[in-house]
Amino acid sequence: MDKLKKLFKPFSVVPLAGWFLGVFSAVLMEFYLGDLISYYLYLPKIPVLFGALFMLKTPLMIPSALAYDLVIYVVPVFLVARVTAPLTNQLAEQLERMPLWLATLLHLAAFYVILSMWAGINDYRVLIVKLTMISIILTLSLNVINGYQGEFSCSHPGFMALGAYASSTLTLLLFANDKMFGEPLLNPALGPWLFPLVLIIGGGVAALGSLIVAVPSFRTRGDYLAIISLAFLFIVKSAIENLEIVGGPRGMSSQPNYATLTVVFVWMALCIWIVHNFTTSVLGKALNAVRDNEPAANSMTVNTRKTKMTAFMFGAFWAGVAGGLFAHVLRYVNPGTFSLNKLAEILAMVYFGGLNSIYGSIVGAVSISVLSEALRPLELFKWIIIPLILILVMIFRPHGLISFTELNVKELMRPRNKERAGGVE
Amino acid sequence: MDIFLQNIINALQWGSFYAVVSIGYSMVYGVLMLFNFAHGDIFMVGTYIGFGIATLLLALFSAFMPGWMIFILVILITMFLASFVGVFVEMVGYRPLRGAPRASAAITGLMIGIIFETGNLIILGAQRFSFPPLIESVTYNIGGIYVTNVKVLIIVASLVMMFALHLFIKKTKWGMAMRAMSYDFQAVPLMGVSINVIAPMTFAIGAGLASVAGILYGQAYPVLDPYMGISLGWKAFVAAILGGRGSIMGAALAGYLLGFIEMFVPMIFPSTFRDLIAYSIILVILTFRPRGFFGMAHSTQLRL
Amino acid sequence: MKKLLYLVLAACVVTLCFSSNGWTQRKTTIKVGINAPMTGDIPKVGEGTKYAAEMWLEDVNKAGGIEVGGKKYPVEVVLEDNESKAESAVKANTKMITQDDVMIIVGPQSSKQAIPAGDVANNYETPMISPWSTNPATTADRPYVFRGCFLDPFQGPVLANFITEEFGFAKAAVLYDVASDYPKGLAEFFKAAWEEKHGAGSVVAYESFTTKDTDFSSQLTKIINSDAEFLFTPQYYNEVALIVNQAKDLGWKGPVVGSDSWGSAETVELCGEACFGQFFSTHYAAAGAKGATKEFIDRYNSKYGYVPDDVGALTWDALRLAQAAIEGSGELSGNVKKDRAAVRDALAKIENFEGITGTMTFTEEGDPNKCAVIVKISDKGEYEFYKSICP
Repeated sequence: MDKLKKLFKPFSVVPLAGWFLGVFSAVLMEFYLGDLISYYLYLPKIPVLFGALFMLKTPLMIPSALAYDLVIYVVPVFLVARVTAPLTNQLAEQLERMPLWLATLLHLAAFYVILSMWAGINDYRVLIVKLTMISIILTLSLNVINGYQGEFSCSHPGFMALGAYASSTLTLLLFANDKMFGEPLLNPALGPWLFPLVLIIGGGVAALGSLIVAVPSFRTRGDYLAIISLAFLFIVKSAIENLEIVGGPRGMSSQPNYATLTVVFVWMALCIWIVHNFTTSVLGKALNAVRDNEPAANSMTVNTRKTKMTAFMFGAFWAGVAGGLFAHVLRYVNPGTFSLNKLAEILAMVYFGGLNSIYGSIVGAVSISVLSEALRPLELFKWIIIPLILILVMIFRPHGLISFTELNVKELMRPRNKERAGGVE
Repeated sequence: MDIFLQNIINALQWGSFYAVVSIGYSMVYGVLMLFNFAHGDIFMVGTYIGFGIATLLLALFSAFMPGWMIFILVILITMFLASFVGVFVEMVGYRPLRGAPRASAAITGLMIGIIFETGNLIILGAQRFSFPPLIESVTYNIGGIYVTNVKVLIIVASLVMMFALHLFIKKTKWGMAMRAMSYDFQAVPLMGVSINVIAPMTFAIGAGLASVAGILYGQAYPVLDPYMGISLGWKAFVAAILGGRGSIMGAALAGYLLGFIEMFVPMIFPSTFRDLIAYSIILVILTFRPRGFFGMAHSTQLRL
Repeated sequence: MKKLLYLVLAACVVTLCFSSNGWTQRKTTIKVGINAPMTGDIPKVGEGTKYAAEMWLEDVNKAGGIEVGGKKYPVEVVLEDNESKAESAVKANTKMITQDDVMIIVGPQSSKQAIPAGDVANNYETPMISPWSTNPATTADRPYVFRGCFLDPFQGPVLANFITEEFGFAKAAVLYDVASDYPKGLAEFFKAAWEEKHGAGSVVAYESFTTKDTDFSSQLTKIINSDAEFLFTPQYYNEVALIVNQAKDLGWKGPVVGSDSWGSAETVELCGEACFGQFFSTHYAAAGAKGATKEFIDRYNSKYGYVPDDVGALTWDALRLAQAAIEGSGELSGNVKKDRAAVRDALAKIENFEGITGTMTFTEEGDPNKCAVIVKISDKGEYEFYKSICP
């Protein structure tokens, strides 16, 4: 462990911008040299997920895939990041002088460029990245309820379904020429611009639906939310199955292709930002107070019922938005998608990553999504390994990997060349 | 009228499974305050163990042993073996997480369940098995109502099991320890009752009951598959909490209630709306009886 | 810092040295993608698909590959698990198309995965054959998507006609799974066909349940107390066993009629005597099969220990169709995109393909014109060919 720390010591001076530059150079290298290098390494193609798929399918390819990772990713990232550290630190200092929102936006833009370049190599990557980002939104929204609010809600797939169906119906009705609703009512060219509105309406429908759960369950504290929300999930599924107008169990297909990588990325960034603001606001703190001690919070003039309802609807809203994006990424929804399996998946992401933490949710969503893609070649054994990893994480870190830490953008972006109070060095 | 009476019999049979399985849930929930999301899959494993034992015993002894004796032997051996599954789940998924947030233990339970399902699929393959009939099915026609002896057996056996469990909990020292533990699981260990004995015992009893339910289930619905426990497990979870914390009676009654709702809704309404209406009824019940049937008041300190 | 650099360099050298496994000659291989539910709700379907693909690959390898334009190319099968989920099927298809460069995809089997996955295949202009998906939406408006089986709108009337002619019944009861796309669709088509024949209200009981249910007694009680003369249940084999036995226990005396989803060897195994004497429509009849069909069944049976169900047979046919299309595409240019288009055109042109489940010619939508077979379960529990009905 100490040795590892020593190994990484030279890199503690690299700011976030430096890492971005390192990753950017790696992505550039893959973009221009990826084909060539993979050809010389006798890989059939540029490995999508760092070669995990090759390695698990044909173990003989492990050296090649590892070599590829080393040449394309590890060496450039660390080398460039370290070498340019003085430069990027200066950059970070300048960024620090800017208003926080501008600096954050610049970082996000840089991150987006890197991500889209990395994903652009292969459409499979684009799909994985999109679905992973949707998982992040979902996980964050459930974390608001199960983490910040401390309840155990099982209805998230139901909210997702509401959002997915509401937004699909709208886009199909308004902007698409399809078999279900016929001619579009509005000019399809307007579609991409009104898509955010459609998503918000989808989220709003989910939030309204959440009232069905919230009103009866927040009269009392306890585990009844768990079963009321479970009952809600069954109700939503059954209701959609009986609604012939949205296709019943056949589902709806051929939604217009509005959920591009950019759109999903913007929504994810927006979600992280809003959830962060929500949880650090007075309301969010009141929510934590309610979770930790409801009578005490009550006596401190916190309107506990209202707080809980608001947070619950807030979580449901984002689940609805995620559902809308999900429907437009897959361009197909059916009620069977929003089943108990989906519930287990989202719960696993939340508790794996860690409660009460935005970092945790991101880590949880990304690692479970990527893991379940990377372990694809193992077929059945995938569903032994992922649960095992989760059990081990739960045993050794019962609160999840990263819990109870708040997102601090300023600290994340600061230059690392000077010693600071409370800093790492 | 015939339909009504027939459906009462049907609902009693179906409700018996919910009742017995949800008791296992309810015990863990009552004693340790934990959700045992692996319970549905413990039921599945129990059924498969029962299937294995039944096939084995039928092959060995069917020549010189009457059917009911084999049946009882199968139940006893399966209960014994399945209780180890319960203990295993407790040791792996729940004991290391004592003191951790309750939801974390629920997640380990869920994950152990997935491992059981996939493990079953890997070991036994995708083929479905047919549970061998241990009792020759005979259909009686009582004034237009059809009752099989298997149905009667299921209903009676479930009631007997529940009564036995009731006696165990009310009359024995172990039962008293469990009740004490459900009252306060922090203070009771200080009185010399080890939680490391009571917790596995709770799981073992739950698993034993579930496995018997599995054997009976195999008699009524003889098609086994690795995912058979999922929906039963989640519905038993609903019943267990609906019944109220720490109330075995409540869980059993809620299980029967669930069975009755699921049977009578298709009788009155179009059956496509079954889930919609059935769970709306549950929602309404919880709105007006937010503490379930027999539950004690929840402490406000209860945290996940 | 220096140490680290050396370490990385050393690692580079070592891995490069060991990556010699690839120092074999690169050949153009024909890749065939299989998208199957290995885990999830219907693992048996995935298993049947996998076994059929294994057998097909064995055959192809024995022949030294697929011959296109006078040259033999080795074949690789890429099998992806779709976990019985729509999103996973989409991911699997995208992966196979963009990463593995497959020439053609066989699967997914169920409509709920085949519909969204077909969209992906069509967008990337990759031919796809779904062997088992009977929903019209799978192939509608998708030039690159084909299927290997007949459609629900065909099967419904076939059964309605057969029952009317065979038994002379006028009152029907239907029991189906409302949450599953295939049974629901077929139940609707059957109901429409039956009511067209016998007038509105001739389907006296139209009951449903939800996937994974095992107790149907409430619905069956309703059916028995209506004056239905027979019960139609387009369910999968595991549910059939429960439905038929429970109906018997509740005093049902009439016949039970099924659809192609009954066509698994396990139906009789799980159902037992209650199923003897019942009829169902299917793609092919295992018992009494002749020629290539029998050969396939015997081989499958000796290899995997059970008689293949319709999924296995249809997958086999789909793979053979894929092979025929690749062979008929003229020559391989090495450019996958071009080859895919050529394969698609060749596939659409195939006429009177002699499959083990019948003779196939594709319509413009990519659906085959195929005959349905009515099978009777004999008193010994064997599937007997009863009748063949062609469109």
